Amino acid sequence: MTILDVRGISKRFGGLQALSDVTFSVGEGQIVGLIGPNGAGKTTFFSTLVGLIKPDRGSVALEGRPIVGLKPHRVAAYGMTKTFQNVALFGDSTVLDNVLTAGLLRHDVAAARHEARRCLDRVGLLAIAGKQADTLSFPERARVELARALCTGPKVLLLDEVMAALNPVEMREIMELIRSLRDDGITLLVVEHHMRAIMAVCDRILVLNFGKLLADGTPKEIASHPEVIEAYLGQSMEKHR
Amino acid sequence: MQFVQAIVDGLLIGGVYAVISIGLTLVYGVMGIVNFAQAEFVMIGMFVAWFAWSWLGLDPVLAAPLSFAVAFVIGWFVQGHLISRVLKAPSVAQIFLTVGLLIVFENGALLMFGSQFRSVTTPYQTTSLSLGSLFVSLPYLIAFGMSLTCGGALWWFMRSSWFGRAMRATALNPSAAQLMGIDAGLMYRIAFALGVGLTAFGGAIILPYATVSPTAGADYVILMFTVVVLGGLGSVAGAVVGGLAVGIIQALSALVFPIQLQNLVLFLVFIAVLAVRPQGLVGASR
Amino acid sequence: MTRWMIGLGALAAALLLPLSLDPQGYWIRVLTFTFLFAAMAQAWNIVGGLANQTSLGHAAFFGIGAYTSTVLLIKFGISPWIGMIAAAGLGAVAAFAIAIPTMRLQGHYFALATLAFGEVLRVVANVWTSVTGGASGISVPFSPPSVANYSFKLLRPHAYIALAALVIVTIIFEAIRRSAMGYRLRAIKENPAAAEVIGIDTTKVKLQAAIISGMLMAMLGTLYAQVAVFFDPDTVFSAGSVSIRVALIAILGGIGTPAGPILGAFFIIPLEELMNDWFSASAAGLSQLTFGLILIVVILWRPRGFVTLFKSLSARPGGAPA
Repeated sequence: MTILDVRGISKRFGGLQALSDVTFSVGEGQIVGLIGPNGAGKTTFFSTLVGLIKPDRGSVALEGRPIVGLKPHRVAAYGMTKTFQNVALFGDSTVLDNVLTAGLLRHDVAAARHEARRCLDRVGLLAIAGKQADTLSFPERARVELARALCTGPKVLLLDEVMAALNPVEMREIMELIRSLRDDGITLLVVEHHMRAIMAVCDRILVLNFGKLLADGTPKEIASHPEVIEAYLGQSMEKHR
Repeated sequence: MQFVQAIVDGLLIGGVYAVISIGLTLVYGVMGIVNFAQAEFVMIGMFVAWFAWSWLGLDPVLAAPLSFAVAFVIGWFVQGHLISRVLKAPSVAQIFLTVGLLIVFENGALLMFGSQFRSVTTPYQTTSLSLGSLFVSLPYLIAFGMSLTCGGALWWFMRSSWFGRAMRATALNPSAAQLMGIDAGLMYRIAFALGVGLTAFGGAIILPYATVSPTAGADYVILMFTVVVLGGLGSVAGAVVGGLAVGIIQALSALVFPIQLQNLVLFLVFIAVLAVRPQGLVGASR
Repeated sequence: MTRWMIGLGALAAALLLPLSLDPQGYWIRVLTFTFLFAAMAQAWNIVGGLANQTSLGHAAFFGIGAYTSTVLLIKFGISPWIGMIAAAGLGAVAAFAIAIPTMRLQGHYFALATLAFGEVLRVVANVWTSVTGGASGISVPFSPPSVANYSFKLLRPHAYIALAALVIVTIIFEAIRRSAMGYRLRAIKENPAAAEVIGIDTTKVKLQAAIISGMLMAMLGTLYAQVAVFFDPDTVFSAGSVSIRVALIAILGGIGTPAGPILGAFFIIPLEELMNDWFSASAAGLSQLTFGLILIVVILWRPRGFVTLFKSLSARPGGAPA
């Protein structure tokens, strides 16, 4: 069953066409990867989905309900939220309070605290729940972001580079977590630069390039898609040379 | 006719408003600080000019460079030792540091000079030129002329001198400017000192038709903020347009409203601009 | 636990203090104003400390409160207690009206806009002579002393009422801080975009905080009117001696903490009185000058306020120990 339906989303910033006519839909319980070179519009696209950026054209439906034009908190209440690529924690608060605040969307303070502990446990950070968010390492912060987003009780969760700067062990843990979230019935959209991770964890991959949807298919199809290799993998190889 | 006369008066006064407000917008544009104490430099400039007139017999208009210099030195110190410490602090610390400065300047002046109002007498004080049925007050005209000169000099400085260009580069991207060998701290000092110097300069040139007292700054606070917000905080060109606009708004509202309500018009314009277009009507911004 | 002990100890001392002072003397008046200004700073703290919106226009609500109850008393003989409720209503309306255009603004812009709003009301109160009596001020008419009339022969009951107000406003502040609203306000303060994305209606929460703060401030305006008995627009709508002063008290004491406004008020108000007493004849402006200097020093060297001098009081906003 389709949970997220995106039709013809376009957004222009001054002279830059950040997104043009992006259309696709996602079935419930899928893990969908979103890849593309730097500046392809991935983060802009996530921000548009949750309502931080208003698209010039196009529609988004979450479980059949149109959400374009709604404020982000309404979108969150309907069940879709995202993490922030550059990490946007409440730095002065503790890890627990960061996550607890998200739990308040559907619970009172006491229940939100309980829920927050559960989410922290899932991302493996319960031990540092009392630490101040500012004092954490980058990988830890990215996980707090994840726990916080999770604590809103989402149906669709957009993860923006939560695996950046992780070591292989931590990366495997997060991939496990993503799969287990899917098993709980959460649909995930994942932006990630690490190709091997994304190929391994996703059921399906979308490729964005210059704001356009370039390809849409299984990891295997994408890996052998000539245009994708040219636009993305080619460039990435160049970068890694 | 009354209407045209009001426009002319408004333009002439507005030129001065532009000069006293440029410093406020310059400081915001370069380092993102709103200096609530800026208007106190109007008062400081007026006092310097008043003493130059009273002790040396200097015409306030000629004393204006002296006012500029005194304020420049104060500003250099204030920026280097105080403001520089809160550049990265939360806005509440920035706001209240400059509010603290405002309190110190106003009451420091009160302690030193007492609360009485002082004014100067100049030979041209009551002279008006008549152009057909229009009257142009000579002190207004002189102040406007000085403002033009001063604005032109600033424009040249920002466009053509190395300091001006370095300052604009710092405003756009402090870390990149630093990499190119520009001392951002020095640029901030120059910007702040220059900004308050201009404000004091403006204070001196209005002295022939205004009175000075320790609370003189308070009369200009909202006015100056209206000027820079109309033009867009951070935009020097905007401050010029804003200054002229505020001058005209004041002159026109004087035709319609009793004196107590004239400030109200200004406040309402100010709030409306902030609410509808906080980046300013002219649009250029930081 | 120690925080509770300190709180209870301070409350006991505050209850006893008025008894030890001359019930009609100078110092009980100072104490009353200290309680009152602490309560005002605490009300400001809801917006300025929790929501991080530096309002420089809280005199607007304070003045509305002072005039509402006094005008109702003069024109209709309505008890100031009822007047205080009316003041709360008008304060809420004013807070709503001010919040709508200023809500989107942050930092300096918000401070500027609220400053201008306060000034607008000051000008209006000066001009609207038929209701406010204009620039020449207004006197609270004499009513026979009784609790129902909110009229007393001595200052002592006023001191206790001001203390009660301080306790109530502090409890409201602390309740908000610990509630879901407190968590939401902290989230908005630190990252408004992230707060929205995790489901916080930032507009609504800020509006709620502004209205609560404005209501309380207006009610305290009524208290002030009853103590001061005479006031004019330039006093109660003053940017300097109301709006900036209450913010300054909260900031000096420790912004965003429940103890901050109380510490700040007990430092500033008595000191101000003492200095006015010592210096007023010889050097006008010296006490204000000193305050300016203290403010600068505190901001540069103790940006989190005096509260950080007392370890047990300076709980981090999130509740974790500092």
